[in-house]
Amino acid sequence: MRVLRIVSAFLRAAILKETAYRAELVGNLFRSVIGIGVAIGGLAVVFSHTSELSGWRLEQAMVLLGVYYLVQGIVQTALSPSLNEVVSEVRKGTFDYVLLKPVPSLLLSSTRRFVVWHLADVMLGGAIIAIGLIRLEAQITFGVAAVFVGVMVGGVAIVFSIWLALTTLVFWFVRVENITMIFQLFFDTGRYPVEIYPFWLRQLLTFVFPVAFITTVPAQTITGREPLVAIWLAPLIGALALLAASRFWRIGLSRYTSASS
Amino acid sequence: MIVRRATLAGALALTRAEVADMFQYRVVLFLYSLWEVVHPIVYLAVWGAIAGDGDVGGLRLSDFAAYYLTFMLVSHVTAAIEIYTFGPMIQQGELSPHLLRPMNPVWVAAARNISYKSVSMLLLIPVWIGLVIILRPSLTITTGSAALFVVALVVAALLSFLVGTTFALLAFWTTRSFSFWEIWIGLTFLLGGQVAPVELLPGFVQNLATALPMRYTLGFPIEVLLNRLDSGELALGFALQFAWLFAAALVVRAVWRAGIRQYSAVGA
Repeated sequence: MRVLRIVSAFLRAAILKETAYRAELVGNLFRSVIGIGVAIGGLAVVFSHTSELSGWRLEQAMVLLGVYYLVQGIVQTALSPSLNEVVSEVRKGTFDYVLLKPVPSLLLSSTRRFVVWHLADVMLGGAIIAIGLIRLEAQITFGVAAVFVGVMVGGVAIVFSIWLALTTLVFWFVRVENITMIFQLFFDTGRYPVEIYPFWLRQLLTFVFPVAFITTVPAQTITGREPLVAIWLAPLIGALALLAASRFWRIGLSRYTSASS
Repeated sequence: MIVRRATLAGALALTRAEVADMFQYRVVLFLYSLWEVVHPIVYLAVWGAIAGDGDVGGLRLSDFAAYYLTFMLVSHVTAAIEIYTFGPMIQQGELSPHLLRPMNPVWVAAARNISYKSVSMLLLIPVWIGLVIILRPSLTITTGSAALFVVALVVAALLSFLVGTTFALLAFWTTRSFSFWEIWIGLTFLLGGQVAPVELLPGFVQNLATALPMRYTLGFPIEVLLNRLDSGELALGFALQFAWLFAAALVVRAVWRAGIRQYSAVGA
């Protein structure tokens, strides 16, 4: 309960802070619309030469793209602003103030900021998923929707874990401002179904750097495609990744020596 | 364009300093270069998956490999980074000291552009060679196409730099120049030869892509190198590329003159 109260207090404060920059909403909405419009244009070009891409129809690929933007929006709203702050605080030594507070450091470090304006991506991603599903005339039962949400939560947990693990490297290397680019690098391959990649790359993107679980598998569950792997693997891997990443965080934390010492 | 010798010497000195500066950030630059490799691989995979053992509009898998491998180098050489390097200078008032020097600050942007590319090219080349070995592109390059390629590539890089500078200069008026830049990036993605070689775009869009400048900053040099154009298309392409270069030079000049008149640094 106490944890929930703390988190909601953080969220309120973070949202209040962001409302000072209202014009950001217009700017971000504009950029999201352009970005998604261009991505759909790209799909249109690709599908002008084929009716299916590794077995995916245009509408199914659209749903996948929607999932991509949904996750991207969640990352930019909740994940990256908070965790990027850790990187700069460790460098400056002001991470001391996080450690001094009577709240688990990981909780504090990952819920401090909430850039509401990036919810534009989440909304547009959701809209594209909806449009794709309507055009597929998909029958979404309550069960399918529940499984989809479960798989998505697993995917987001994987994203959070990867991001956290990359951030944790700051305790060893200090200057890692751009290390999370590694995530974006792999994540960008998730705009298209993982089946399009050659065998070795597909394995890499499924088991080593599990982008497949972040976009392909959720899109498969909701569009009724045969899933790539057993879907219960998604939440399982998500949970394992969370455990591993928070363990890694604790190891990293024990190396923190503040600045100047 | 007439460039005075003193200016040229100054630009050279600037570039040397910027190269030394860039070497500090080699790890970041390496990550940036990897990024330039990832996107072409995604689209190579897309078209490869569609082509399978056959072809798409006459292009086989090995042709796509050749296209997107060339793409990696061309997009690196022609990348416009001015919105990151020059725009912030204007926004944060760092332009002021450069205005006191006896040469146009646009040379600073040019020096950064060249130093960024030359340092990160050194990091990109090994990755690229590895990919060539894995992907086995089918390359039929003739001396003629290679010579024309060099011309097309240099003009593309210049054109791209001028366009990038124009968007960066919008920082004189607005803090949202990034949003405008993203429109350009999006159009280049669709019409410049990134999502697909221009020859694969549907009819009407293909005509649009041929007329607009985006292709001439990216796709055109690749098509020239890979002999995808007949002599008529080549002539038209070069004519349009030079025309756009000329137009872009005029635009940069006009925008710079208008912008500098109302520049007031920060806090003034």
